[in-house]
Amino acid sequence: MNPVPQVVNVLQALTVLLLSPLLAGIASRAKAWTESRRGPSIFQPYRDLAKYLRKETLVPDGASRLFLVAPVVAFGAYLVISVVVPIITPYPIPFAATVDFLGGGLLFGLAGALTLLAALDSGSNYAALGASRSVSFAAFAEPTLIMVFFAVAVITGTNNPYVTNNLLASSVSAYVSPTHLLVTAAFFLLLLAETGKLPVESPGLMELGMIDDGRIFEHSGRALGILRWNGWLKQFLLYSVFLNVFLLPWGMFAQPTVWFAVANIGVLFAKLLFLVAVVVVLEATVAKVRLFKIRDFLALSFSLAILSVFAFAVLGVP
Amino acid sequence: MVSTPEIVALLGVGILLTALYLQSESFVDPLISGIAVQSLLLAALLGWLAWVEGNVDLLLLATLAVGIRAVFIPFVLRRQIRAFRWRVREIHAAHRVTGHALAAVALAIVAWFVFQQTLASVFPQPGAALPFVLLVEGLLVLATRRNTIVQVIGYLEEENAVVYAGALFARNFPLFVEVVVFLDVLGVVLVGVILSIQRDVTGTPEEASLEELAG
Repeated sequence: MNPVPQVVNVLQALTVLLLSPLLAGIASRAKAWTESRRGPSIFQPYRDLAKYLRKETLVPDGASRLFLVAPVVAFGAYLVISVVVPIITPYPIPFAATVDFLGGGLLFGLAGALTLLAALDSGSNYAALGASRSVSFAAFAEPTLIMVFFAVAVITGTNNPYVTNNLLASSVSAYVSPTHLLVTAAFFLLLLAETGKLPVESPGLMELGMIDDGRIFEHSGRALGILRWNGWLKQFLLYSVFLNVFLLPWGMFAQPTVWFAVANIGVLFAKLLFLVAVVVVLEATVAKVRLFKIRDFLALSFSLAILSVFAFAVLGVP
Repeated sequence: MVSTPEIVALLGVGILLTALYLQSESFVDPLISGIAVQSLLLAALLGWLAWVEGNVDLLLLATLAVGIRAVFIPFVLRRQIRAFRWRVREIHAAHRVTGHALAAVALAIVAWFVFQQTLASVFPQPGAALPFVLLVEGLLVLATRRNTIVQVIGYLEEENAVVYAGALFARNFPLFVEVVVFLDVLGVVLVGVILSIQRDVTGTPEEASLEELAG
């Protein structure tokens, strides 16, 4: 048996697990520069993680086992996603055949739903407020995600992200087609909302605007560490899918060897740094919209996603 | 290499995006910029077709689109806003971004469906439905907005749709007819501005008779 695919599989999972805190640290540092601050070290998320994992975990009165189990299962869901989407290879690795785009979306949904349930299970008003807001906005974000899947299916005739990557990397016509450009724009707006970036959310514990941070308000110690790590994993995975499948499908080495897979980690990280720079500049230039205006932002994203499929119907080309 | 049909498709979708923007924006100044951008995209489409086909008539129309719709009319409308600051946004009806954006998309789908059922056999080429969709989007602006300047913008959008349709389907029309469409809009804008001043500022007795005409 050829061991290379399995080694690449493990390498991809380790890349996501170990580099996701670093990406968050770089983003945090870069954002501090735009605010004329020195900012924390890019390795601060690793120190935070080590601290959380050492600390005692407190469980609110009345909370069930779900409160502690949910973060771990969500972590598992993100770990599965990390070996089924194109991250460090443009060719499918062994687990990639398990799910397509829709399956990946369902796994993201599972992780999100478990985090919500854990928030509600805590019995805290703040956590419930975060969960309530999160679900309210997800009602607009989820249809957008579904329309993005439709658009991908329209472009390639399949819902497989690897096929999409290969088609867009090899065909200029497919890349500049209205369907692809619109769905890329829609996915980018969705990405900002899902990862809690401005203009949707200003990370922190200010209760007037908090969404994602509200959901994990009652968690502490190891559970909080895993939830934080889940957030970084989600950001890393969404950024990687956006870059490798939609925005920059080029640049990865297609040779199926471990060394080329290692080289692809460098390529991926260069792309990620570019996206982080774009997001940081965006965050420095736009103001946070009011909580009730987030719906408008997501409606715009949804409209673009629908138009991407509509463009295919009207123009007859992907 | 990107081909002519792909460029026409991209510009067409760009025009459709500006239509979505015109539906969802509340403030009048960005709306004027929006219609100017839409006119510029239309001019780019006309200019590209003129370049590919060596058609001087289309080049003249592209120049007119830039001069009249992207520069002159936005200039006149902006002067209106400077003169009357309260016209800067929609104030009569509660303009909801989410509702208008989704209504615009839904209407586009309905318009496409109607086009498929009625005109698709006559105009079978890809993208033929886009001018029709743009026309209906312009009607939606006229129907849902109360601000006079925004209604003028809705009318401009409709006229853009007419020129867009002409560029795609009616190349054999005399140039005179095409030019008249542009001048027609110019006249409507000037008359609209005069009437709006009379209605909004002087409050003359004619206002009552004008109200009778309101839909």
